[in-house]
Amino acid sequence: MSSPLIPVDIGHATYAAVTDPATAFWALVDKTRLTETLSGGALLERYRDQADAFARELHALRFGLTPSGVYLNPTERCNLDCTYCYLPGAQRSGGRHMPGETLNASLAALRDYFATSMGRDGAAGGRKPRAIFHGAEPLMNRDAVFAAIDDFADDFAFGVQTNGTLLDDAAIDFLTARNVSIGLSLDGPVAGITDATRRTWGGKSVHDKVLAAMAKLRGYGSWSVITTCTQENLPWLTEMVELFHAHEVPTCMLNTVRCTLPGARGVKPADGGMARAFFAALDRTHALYRESGRKLLVANFANILLAILAPTARRLMCDISPCGGGRAFFALAADGSLYPCSEFIGLPRFNGGKLLEDGVDAALASAAFRPVVTRDVDTFEPCASCAIRHFCGSPCPAEAHEMNGGMARTGAFCDFYKAQVNYALRLIADGKADDYLWDGWDDGTETTFHWQ
Amino acid sequence: MTQTPSAIPPAPTTPASAADGTAPPDAAPTIAVRKSCNPDGIGLSHYVLMDRKAAR
Repeated sequence: MSSPLIPVDIGHATYAAVTDPATAFWALVDKTRLTETLSGGALLERYRDQADAFARELHALRFGLTPSGVYLNPTERCNLDCTYCYLPGAQRSGGRHMPGETLNASLAALRDYFATSMGRDGAAGGRKPRAIFHGAEPLMNRDAVFAAIDDFADDFAFGVQTNGTLLDDAAIDFLTARNVSIGLSLDGPVAGITDATRRTWGGKSVHDKVLAAMAKLRGYGSWSVITTCTQENLPWLTEMVELFHAHEVPTCMLNTVRCTLPGARGVKPADGGMARAFFAALDRTHALYRESGRKLLVANFANILLAILAPTARRLMCDISPCGGGRAFFALAADGSLYPCSEFIGLPRFNGGKLLEDGVDAALASAAFRPVVTRDVDTFEPCASCAIRHFCGSPCPAEAHEMNGGMARTGAFCDFYKAQVNYALRLIADGKADDYLWDGWDDGTETTFHWQ
Repeated sequence: MTQTPSAIPPAPTTPASAADGTAPPDAAPTIAVRKSCNPDGIGLSHYVLMDRKAAR
């Protein structure tokens, strides 16, 4: 019987990895014993005993979910003109708000949908569906958003992703009093770097306004900051995490720029440079943790660790194939249309119909959603023969389609994802992985394989 | 399945013995861990809430 395990050089002095890509199983083995491990032995035998169960688990995660979250775009408008935005500029500068009555009717329809898909009591574990107000800039339509949060407080767990420029004291008091999770965006440790990609339509800096919002949120339990990594700020990522740690930001993301629309591709960093800057920043977060005892979680990397250690514990649903768009969540545009994810709102062919006219089920089953929810890395190269394809998922379908020519193509940062997985496996080999995850990350999980 | 409250088990400080089939005494110990839970992640690159308890 041939071995299902594939060797992977992770760049560690002692260890190599072996994986079965079909089940996302992995083990770290002494490099001098690699041949013996691949040819047979107790590890392989025990894995064979559980391989079917792991395959079923992964298949359920990839194909068996029903949505439990919605990204709500209450307006097309934004007061910023960021270089890399995935929403068309004409919408952001002159678009419309969703009327408050329409927003409330939409949330009522969504409440009824989730009651069916999740169960009245949250069949998936006693939880509410999540509703995230999202961009463009949701606080441009603040009155409607805040009214909806109060009107549907019993039905949804709410979040707001905002550029932070409209987050005044009253807004922060309102949101924090209701335990709404808040996400901000900041691209540089100083104004000159942030301003290179994030500024108003008139070219004004917003850096200090975001810093002011961060200062007000210090001590709040549920907030985060996103940095979009581009050619402009790549040399500053280490300073970026130092700033976040100093401001007691609990969670950040250092995201590669999404290359869905052409404007983003002009500031796309190369994979190698992205990896070097990203790992330097990660190393700095670890040093800061060791010095202070306080973690700054880099969520997009933590999610790679979770994909390896506990595939079903992923929090981000970009790094899996099919991605979470149209499966774990979907997006409602300001015109009432449904899309698999906000990333597709600028691409009309992915419009799955109107929420209030056609409904969620029709959108999920629509021809517009099908290419996204069936994008499967097992079915196209080079992913199909990649040892880490189910730790990565080849994100993102929107940029694969728009930048690389189709759903059966990789996303924009293939080599960077490989480097992240190797880095994560080296941390596991060195016993440091917990330092990059939140305390208690595995509460509520079961250990299904443990070998040492 | 075994319920374990702890996080990732630390690698043993001494190599496992060949007798239990894991690795010869002079080899670094093999490490393999997998955990499972009810999936409920809905984050994406534009928004994340990491802590599962906070997501309730």
